Order: sequence, then structure tokens, then C-alpha cells
Amino acid sequence: MMSNTRSFIAAHRFGYGANAKTIRKIKQQPQQWLLNQITADNALKELTLLDMQWNSQLAAEQLNLYQQQKKQEKTPKASPQANMMLMASQNTQKQINKQLQKAISATVVHSIVTDSPFYWRLVDFFSNHFSVTGNGPRMRALAPTLEIEAIAPYISGSFADMLLAVESHPAMLLYLNNEQSIGPNSKAGKRSKGKRGLNENLAREILELHTLGVNAGYDQADVTELARAITGWGVEGKGSANFSFKANLHEPGRRDVFGKIYQQDGVKQGVRILNDLAVNAKTAEFVSRKLVNHFVNDNPPQALVDTMVAVWLKTKGNLPQVLQAMIEHPLSWSEQGAKFKTPREFVISTCRVCGIKKINPNFSKSLSILGQQPFAAGSPAGYKDTQEYWAGPRAMMGRIEWAEHVSKFVKNSPVELAQNALGPLMDERTELLISRAESKSQAVTLFLMSPEFQKR
Amino acid sequence: MSMQRRDFIKAGVAGWIIFQTAASRALANPTQSSKNPKKIVWVMLRGGMDSLHAVLPIGDPDFMHIRGSLVAPIKDKLLPMHNGFALHPALKNCHNWYQNKEFLPVVAVASGYRKRSHFDAQDQMESGLNNTDYESGWLARAVGMLKGHGLAIAQTVPIALRGEEPSQTWFPSHFTASDDDLIARLRSLYAGNKEFSGLLESAVNNRDMLDMDGETRARPNFSYLAKNCGELLSRDDSANCAMLELGGWDTHNNQQQRLNRQFSMLDNGLAELKNALGDTWQDTVVLVTTEFGRTVAVNGTKGTDHGTGSTMFMLGGAVKGKQVLGQWPGLAKESLFEERDLTPTTDVRSWMASVLHQHWNLPLDKIAKVFPDVEPAAQAIVKA
Repeated sequence: MMSNTRSFIAAHRFGYGANAKTIRKIKQQPQQWLLNQITADNALKELTLLDMQWNSQLAAEQLNLYQQQKKQEKTPKASPQANMMLMASQNTQKQINKQLQKAISATVVHSIVTDSPFYWRLVDFFSNHFSVTGNGPRMRALAPTLEIEAIAPYISGSFADMLLAVESHPAMLLYLNNEQSIGPNSKAGKRSKGKRGLNENLAREILELHTLGVNAGYDQADVTELARAITGWGVEGKGSANFSFKANLHEPGRRDVFGKIYQQDGVKQGVRILNDLAVNAKTAEFVSRKLVNHFVNDNPPQALVDTMVAVWLKTKGNLPQVLQAMIEHPLSWSEQGAKFKTPREFVISTCRVCGIKKINPNFSKSLSILGQQPFAAGSPAGYKDTQEYWAGPRAMMGRIEWAEHVSKFVKNSPVELAQNALGPLMDERTELLISRAESKSQAVTLFLMSPEFQKR
Repeated sequence: MSMQRRDFIKAGVAGWIIFQTAASRALANPTQSSKNPKKIVWVMLRGGMDSLHAVLPIGDPDFMHIRGSLVAPIKDKLLPMHNGFALHPALKNCHNWYQNKEFLPVVAVASGYRKRSHFDAQDQMESGLNNTDYESGWLARAVGMLKGHGLAIAQTVPIALRGEEPSQTWFPSHFTASDDDLIARLRSLYAGNKEFSGLLESAVNNRDMLDMDGETRARPNFSYLAKNCGELLSRDDSANCAMLELGGWDTHNNQQQRLNRQFSMLDNGLAELKNALGDTWQDTVVLVTTEFGRTVAVNGTKGTDHGTGSTMFMLGGAVKGKQVLGQWPGLAKESLFEERDLTPTTDVRSWMASVLHQHWNLPLDKIAKVFPDVEPAAQAIVKA
């Protein structure tokens, strides 16, 4: 395969598509270009460049304000002052919604312009792997902070560190109710006389969705034991988003997970279990397979997965090394577009190639129309990652209509645009039909809807 | 609707073949049956609905002892049914239908799945098989036997409606429809590419059949989707079944308040569906199921965790209502599944199979191909 072709495959398959600038950056060394993006230095640089003015601390402050305002509004005072208060809490809620939209837009816009598209594809992948949904003011405020605070900084490190950061982040703790989970034999549990107790939601999803995967051989007792081990993992609250270990909620005693005994050691008991889960062979297999499914093929080749699992086990889940194994494997470079783009990939790659940084309907709304609104998967399993999920009749027509809508705002020459984006991947016939379109915007729509651009 | 458009809708079942020539459109008609006016609507509740909070076994001696704290706020407002069961007060339309002999719950049901993962359980229930086939759903197989077609109120085709014949999907659109010229050019762009030609034709076909009055909303709620589902079914007599989904049932905490809201949403949506169906309601069976139940005991956060046995609802003008079906296993500790969940006593699929048999008149050998792992339940579910 010509190294030029490999550059285009790298840009599409592992990034957000090609344009003239991207191809110049790759310098016909696609593997090196990808590896350079996942170094610690580069991760730091990308996070600095990201224009994100929202974080979990600001979220906690806003939520505290919101709760205080709600409380005041509940006091029975029908004075004009009370009415003002009512407006205050609604206003705060509006501010929170606005911040969520801004946060979504900041990441999308940065993904459009970044020199490290592979890095941001990985952030998106793990953000979906550790999916949180923005339901209600509290989760709308916190959901977008998880990927920036607990995922993006850890792409260049070990999966264990990322896992711990995610499971101890306020967005995840609150989303899956762990801050309310109480050891039945803890001080607080005993005081409540059985009225308050365990909630196994987070523990179950850690095992099923975040680490081992469903049907990995754990049973209900393991779920319950893990749930007990992480009792007390909560959030400071009252204006602070800091993790807080509440010893009086923590279930005393040793925990037995998969036949291994974890001594009582406060917060470290849960940390040790998570660390073991992160390097478990089942986790290595589950996450590697998901990565291959995401980047390479809906039917992941076992040989490729096996190679990554071996590296995972050898390096104790060092993500850049596992990813390097994927990048260096010949099975990752088959010439045909094996993956149908997700709506997010379609929207970002369209804007990247067409040089668009702002659209109407805005990014969040556009993604919602196409079926993949950020932080709205509605379940901790996140969005599915296969063609059949994204290529339904309604969704396909949505793509056509959206492409037609966006193409009206593109000024470049369509044929040039397509040549820059697809290079040697473009079929002669596609080029001919683009050049024969009756209008510029129709030509751009045909390019955006071409199989070469829809698949990667 | 003009006559032409009506024919077009009927022909739609043949997929994109109809676009080739006028002759093939005419030929497409006899291949499908529009004689069966009986409709099935399946409402899938995603997240694991707590059946003990929907159909409350107030006659069970252990019930109030275990569930007292959750039931207390609604205890005086429960809507009575037979055999010691009562409905949650938010299900008031359902209760009216019950009294009108158009609603019946089946208690203590489950699919063949015995673990507690939502996603696996839902997939398995949609597939209807003990070993999930992601490309073959029970509703698609069943409607295939009728040579009819199904309709999904969703952006993409759910597993239940995946099969040999393409199912239609409907979801509110946000843009003006693309013009014929663009579609024609996309056709030439995809010529020779089987995959994309197929995607395009099913998309165009689906849009032309289902694009109604152009009414759109940013975030469609369940009532809106149910209303549109009813309208589509009542005006397209070649569509035999439809699937609706409603999420939000994973009540690990604060269950009392959350289920109040959820049940109202479901109850109101079902009423919208009934209104939109008009006379077709008399020929309709609506099935409401969930992937599994929840723990019998209340957890530490005023909610319940993933369990096993749950309840299904059947409603509609065709249903032989005002009865509570299913075998009640009791809530005594030794009767529970793994000492924590309501024990399922019948397979939810055996009741679905029974509906296919009694309502659609599908013969048993065909039902065995839809649900190879169960026998249809013997009780009369549909009005004689």
C-alpha cells in the first residue's frame, strides 16, 4: 500500500478525516503521527488548548446556589421578594443548561480544529465507555466534567488510573447513586436501624460495563461485595465537588471479591479491588475488543484483540502501549472503509473538512437530530458502536437532510474539497458525480454522503 | 389520503423493489396480506419496571411487611382489581380499561434470562430467543408469518423488528425533505454499491410512507410518539404491528416519586395511543413488558435493585380484560428467586405467543418458529 494511502486511512480511521493541512502534518508517517498524539506532553498541550470554562468545582458551586435558592423559594412567603427568588433558581438552572451546551460545543469545536484528532477520538471513546447522562440540573452540571477531568488526562497513562479517577469522580458517584449507598453495619447504617443501606448500582456497572464485561464470570455476591467495599465513597457537597471518603458510612470488615480477600483498609479497600480489576485478563479483553470495534471493525479480528490483550497484561494496562499494539498491527490498516461513521464522527469530520466552526442547529442539537446527543445516551452502557445501530432508515434520511442543510454554508470548490478529503480513497465515479451536480451545495451533499466519506 | 398514496403505502411492504417500475408496484400488492386488520403494539419499558409497585399484591401476607415504606404514601389511593391485587393510583386510565374489560395484567413473568444486566436482558427479550440473535427479533419473525410489516417508533430499527423484511421506522424529522433530484443523484452515486443503495432506498421508502403532516418537535415525549404510532397504525392497514419504547424505569433510588411520574407518563401515553387508534382500538392488543423485575426488598436508598420476576400488561379493545392472570408465587422468603426476587412462574413469551395464536390466528407450527423455547399459554386472553 502506498504510504500516501495509509496517511488518508490514518486520518479517517483514527482521526476526524483528512484535509490538506492534516495530510501535510502526517508527512507520510501515519503510525508516528498517531503515537505522537498520545504522549503525556501532548495530552497536557491539548487540554491547555481546549477552551473549556466549566469544571466540577464550578458545577458544585452553581448547584449549591441552586439548592439554596430552591429552599428559600419553598418558605411560605408570598411577597414580591419570594417571587424574585423563584426567578433566581430558574435563572440558575438556565445558567447550568447553558454551561452544558457550551461545554459540549467547546469539545466539538476543538475536535474540529485540533492537530491531535486521534487523542480526541480516544477521549470520546472512553467518555462513551464511562457514559454518564445529563438528567436533571445536578447531572447536567456534572456530566461534561467527567471526560475532561477523569478521562482526557489519563489517555497517556494506565487504565487503572483512569478507572480510579472515573469511579471517584462526583459525576459518576452521583450518577450511579454511590454517595447514598451505606454499609448496613457502618455507624450510619446501624443508627438508621436498617432504613438506609446498600445501593449496588455503581458496583454492578463497574463490573459489567467498565471493567470485566457482562458474563465475565462474576456473580451477585461479587457485586454486593464490591458495593460494600466502596460504601463511603462520596462527594464533599455544599459547594465542593471534591471526593470525600465518609468513614462512618463505610461497611466494616473484609471483602471477598472473586475469591480474593481484601482487608478492611478504609478507602484503600475499594481502590485495591479497582486496581486488580483494571489488570484482570477479562478487562483487558473487554476493553481491547471495544477499542478494535470502535476504530477498526464491527467484527473485531481476534488476532488483533489478542495482541492488544497480551500487551495489556504485560504492561499492566498501559494505554499508549496497548494502543501502539493496535496501530502497529497490519489488521488495522485494511484498505476498505470497514466502519460506518457515528453521527459524532460524521458531524465533526464534515465540519473539519468544510472548515465550519459554528452551525445552526448548534452542535448539540445537530447531534441530537442524528441520534447521538452528547451526555444523553440514557443508560450507563453509552451509545452502541455498530453500523446497524446508526444506519436505520430514519437516521439515514436524517444524515442526508443534515448534509444538505450544512452544505448550503460551504464556500469551497466541491471537487477540490473532496480531493483534499479523500485523496486516493475517492472513487472516480464519485468524483464525476460531484463535478456534475447541479449546484455547489448539491455537490457538497453528494461528497458528504459518498460511501467513501460515510465510512472510514 | 388519496387513493394513490394508499396503494403506495400498501406496496411499501415489498421494500425498495417498488421503485423499479409501475408494474412491479402492481405486483407487489398480492404478495402481502392487508386482510388481517388485527394490530399488535408492543411497548418495551427499558430499565426494569418494579412490578410490585405497579400491580401491588396487597393480599399477600408478606407484602406490606416488606414494602410498607414504599407503599405508605399511596396506600389509601390504590385502585383495586381481583384476587388481592391493586393498581398504582397513577395508572388510572389502565384501571378504567380494567373495569371496561380491556385491561389485564399477568403477574410473575420473566423471559428466559436469569441474570441482571439490563442490556443483555433487553436484547434477549427483543430477540425472543434464549440465545439472543441480534439480527432476528420476535416481532419481525411474527409479522413475517403474516407477510405483513412492522413499524418502529425510533431512529433506528430495534432488534425486535430486525429480520428478513425491512421494517419501517418513524421519528420526528427536523429538516425539509430532500428533493427528488438529490435523491436521484444519490441513487446514481450508490449504483453498484449494494449496501448504500439499500440504505438509501429504505430511507426514502420509509420517509415517503411515514412522513405525515410535517409536525415536528425537538424532544418528542412518550405521549407524542404514542399518538403518532396510533395514527400511523390506524391509517396504514398493511402495518400489523408497532413497537414503542419508554425508558426511565431503573429506580435504584427515590422510587416512590420516580414511579409516580413514570406511571403517569405511561398511562397518559397509552390513552393517547387509544385515542389516535380510533376504531382500530377494537382490533388492537397492546403488550407492555419490561426486561426484568426488581428486588423484593427495598434497598438503602429508597429504591430497588435489579431483580427477576415482573408483570406484563395486556390492553386494548380486543383483550378479554378484567382479570389478573399468572400464578402468584408469594413473597415469603423461601418462595423468592435467589432469596431476593419475585420468582417468575410463567415465561413472558408464552403470553406473547398466546396473543399471536388467539389474536393473529397464527398456527402453532408458525408460533414455534417465533418462540421456539416456549409453549403458548392456554388461557383466553382475546375476546371470543
